[in-house]
Amino acid sequence: MGKQVDLLQGTLDMLILKAVSLGPLHGYGVLLRIQQISGEQLEIQQGSLYPALYRLEHQGLIKSEWGESENRRKAKFYRLTAAGRRQLQSETDKWNRLAAVIVGILNTKPEGI
Amino acid sequence: MNLARLRSWWKWVVKRKQLEGDMDAELLFHIKSHAEDLVRRGVPEADAIRQARIALGGIESQKDAMRDSVGHRWSDELWLDLRYAARMLGKNPTFTLVIVLTLALSIGANSAIFSLIDGVLLKPLPYPRAEQIARVFYRSTSYPKFPLNPWDFLDFRGRNRSFESFAIYTHADVQLSGMGSDPVKLSTFQISSGYFRVLGVQPARGREFDFSEERPGNGNVVILSDRVWRNQFEAAPDILGRKVLLDSQAYTVVGVMPAGLNHPGNSYNSIAYGDTVDAWTPFTFSGNPNNRGSHYVEGIGRLKSGVTVEQAAADFNGIMVELASQHEDDKGWTIYMVPLFREIVGSVHKMLLVLLGAVGLVLLIACVNAANLLLARAAARQKEIAVRAALGAWRGRLLRQMLTESLLISLLGGALGVVLAIVGVRALVFFLPAGFPRTEAIHVNAFVLSFTALVAVGTGLLFGLVPAVQASQIDPKQGLHEGGRGSSGSIRQTRLRAVLVVGEVGLACLLLVGAGAMLRSFMNLLRLDPGFQPQHVLTAEIALPNANYKTTDNVAGFYQRLLNNLNTLPGVRAVGAGTDLPWTGYDENLGGFTIEGKTPPPHEEFHARYHTASADYFRAIGIPLLRGRFFNDQDSKGEPRVLLINNVMARRYWPGEDAVGKRITFDDKPKDSDWFRVVGVVGDVKDTPGSKEAEPAFWWPVLQEPFPFANMTIVLRGDSDPALLTDALRSKVRELDPSLAVAHVRLLDRVADEQFSTSRFALFLIGLFAALALLLAAIGIYGVISYSVSQRMPEFGMRVALGASSWNLLKMVMKQGVLLTGIGVAIGLGCALVLGGVLDNLLFGLSARDPLTLIVVGAIAVVTASLASLPSALRATAADPMTSLRAE
Repeated sequence: MGKQVDLLQGTLDMLILKAVSLGPLHGYGVLLRIQQISGEQLEIQQGSLYPALYRLEHQGLIKSEWGESENRRKAKFYRLTAAGRRQLQSETDKWNRLAAVIVGILNTKPEGI
Repeated sequence: MNLARLRSWWKWVVKRKQLEGDMDAELLFHIKSHAEDLVRRGVPEADAIRQARIALGGIESQKDAMRDSVGHRWSDELWLDLRYAARMLGKNPTFTLVIVLTLALSIGANSAIFSLIDGVLLKPLPYPRAEQIARVFYRSTSYPKFPLNPWDFLDFRGRNRSFESFAIYTHADVQLSGMGSDPVKLSTFQISSGYFRVLGVQPARGREFDFSEERPGNGNVVILSDRVWRNQFEAAPDILGRKVLLDSQAYTVVGVMPAGLNHPGNSYNSIAYGDTVDAWTPFTFSGNPNNRGSHYVEGIGRLKSGVTVEQAAADFNGIMVELASQHEDDKGWTIYMVPLFREIVGSVHKMLLVLLGAVGLVLLIACVNAANLLLARAAARQKEIAVRAALGAWRGRLLRQMLTESLLISLLGGALGVVLAIVGVRALVFFLPAGFPRTEAIHVNAFVLSFTALVAVGTGLLFGLVPAVQASQIDPKQGLHEGGRGSSGSIRQTRLRAVLVVGEVGLACLLLVGAGAMLRSFMNLLRLDPGFQPQHVLTAEIALPNANYKTTDNVAGFYQRLLNNLNTLPGVRAVGAGTDLPWTGYDENLGGFTIEGKTPPPHEEFHARYHTASADYFRAIGIPLLRGRFFNDQDSKGEPRVLLINNVMARRYWPGEDAVGKRITFDDKPKDSDWFRVVGVVGDVKDTPGSKEAEPAFWWPVLQEPFPFANMTIVLRGDSDPALLTDALRSKVRELDPSLAVAHVRLLDRVADEQFSTSRFALFLIGLFAALALLLAAIGIYGVISYSVSQRMPEFGMRVALGASSWNLLKMVMKQGVLLTGIGVAIGLGCALVLGGVLDNLLFGLSARDPLTLIVVGAIAVVTASLASLPSALRATAADPMTSLRAE
């Protein structure tokens, strides 16, 4: 495993929403998916995953149902709801704007002022 | 919380079990999947599961965090706390029982009294915009509340600017006959035309009276109550326009009032507030409009909106001044106006508030007591709490745990209290004194239940907070180390408990003083000589209809014949007829007569209660003759006119003289035959047993009465149970005139007894509350002394080793109990001295600061304290020096 980046406070929910927006996933699958699409750069604290999933479901952003996993076990799959899709969209926009601003600030050179 | 969250939260409430299972399965799946991946990466199988578990973190705290995410952690903890509390309470059933029962009793008592307050004082009267209704009375220096006279009323109605409508009413019962059965007496009021508009009530059928029906000759119309319409006329739909016989005269029914219409109460010849009136007839204005001396109608009005009672009274007083300048009879009067609500509940307002205060004190004592018991138990649980604190229980969590326990106790007490209140209110209403207003409005309703819930929660917080804060501050190290004995914390706690007990004793003393004063007051009332002998006396009222009994001879002749016939009945010792039975609140007063050789003091006139009586009336009712003679059959028409007077009248108008043989007259220009000679002086009877003194009074003999008294009370004194004479009385009346109703058949001792019912009621309740308070205080003292003794057992053992006798130890412990009590008593009696005035006008013949009461209460408290300390003191004497030595 390469060097890992710490997860910014409050971004886990957004990442989970993104992960399940690509297709229904069980909890462990969410973990793997985030690691995979981050190019193994992000590792989620496993302890905070399930509380976050329950919180998102409680807020009506994702919903869950029992299904069969790839290794033929009974597993609980999460999928995005309409409300979750809207939330993900607005979070993404917000994040992109913020990131652009921050990148702009950090790239500022003395002669740019 | 938005809808999605609410739905999710609710799902967790109803599908808890399934979702908990899902949670386990989900986490297990995670661990297994992770472990498989690890194995695939070359981790040995045995190690993989362990590593996967570690990566996930503690399963239980994981699950807690998940529950927290769906908003269920708080309720989970509450549930845990509740289960824990229930287990703790179950472990110590005596403790739980004592504390729950005492709380239930005091919360129940509070709810019951609050139902009374709610029904009587808080609910508005059942009239639309009832706060606008006011009662109007006359007032003079000698009469604080006096009826109006009809002609003045017409002037007030015409000239006042304050009332939307203003009316008068006066009690005038009639007999309904010609219905095929025995005649019935209808409780009837004569009313002026605006009366129902004042009350704001429309007839259910037909109409109100109009002005034309106030004129003589037009008044033979009647409005019936719903009850009479149903019971006497089978709810006939064609009742309007029907002719009915009232006092043998034909009246046309013009209206039927709705069911449950409440009479606003009246004071002259009074009928209580409530559904007590059967029929209404028009008040007709006849006679000389300049004769303003006859006062017998009661005023009631509805204020225009925005006008206060004070403004209206000022308006009326202005008119009164005009009237006084025109009519000699109207001099000396002012107007007294009072909101109807106050007029109805005024008599019991104070008593109810005193009861609420008393029952509130009981609750406060129960709270202190509960706090005390909880403190004692917190001491015993110090170790347990210290362990929990050491294991990482957060201080707020401990506090919440302890408060959950006290709330559980108080809610249990409250629930049981509600049951007691429901039973208690039934009993209260049953035992309410005669004439208590608005009893129909007294129920345990939702408002009372919310009050109870509030009280229960408040109580739980109040008595739980001190012990909970104390417990949460326990230092785990110290708590574990010393087991609580002799530590500074427990000394502070002992002191706190002593203060609580002192407070309890003080409050209980306050209540005891109240109860003691009421008891003495009641005994004073009972010890009074009523002035007559109510035992073995039957009374009944007869009203002769004016149509058939027009003259004095008709009326007097009827009563004379009836009495002669009744005299022949076996078992009758004496029989008489008289007006104005004692203590029934009907006191006719006459002013302005002339006493031979005397002039009244300036601005006053001679006045006296007036009655008529048959020859044997005084013997029958048991009023003694003090001087001279009673009436006899020779005191009849054409014979010299005679009077009997009471002792007060004799002393007031003939001080230092013998009144017998003196003469008075009621004519302005008397001929010699117009003078009445006093032939005897009889004993005094007060208006009510609690009146300061009797009013002057005289009696005309029935056969010489100056005008016919159609309504009289028959008084039968029997040998034994006079109720057995009822049927004979009815048949003798029927023999003479089958159209007459025999009404209000009552036993005189029952009538007399009703006069004590208010005092007895208040005494009973306050006594009950005081007893409860004393019991609670005793429990408190017992608890504190008993705890202190168990703490000091080693010390006592040492003392025994050093030569102290059992007697020394007993004395030491008892002294502690009595000392605490002594301080409490001093504080309680001090408060009683300050607050005693509250009770003063509920008491008869003493003040609440009565020294004897205070001394006795102090003694009772000290004796109780000694009894409560005795078991612990005896236990102290068993202290064993060897045990102490080994323990140290």
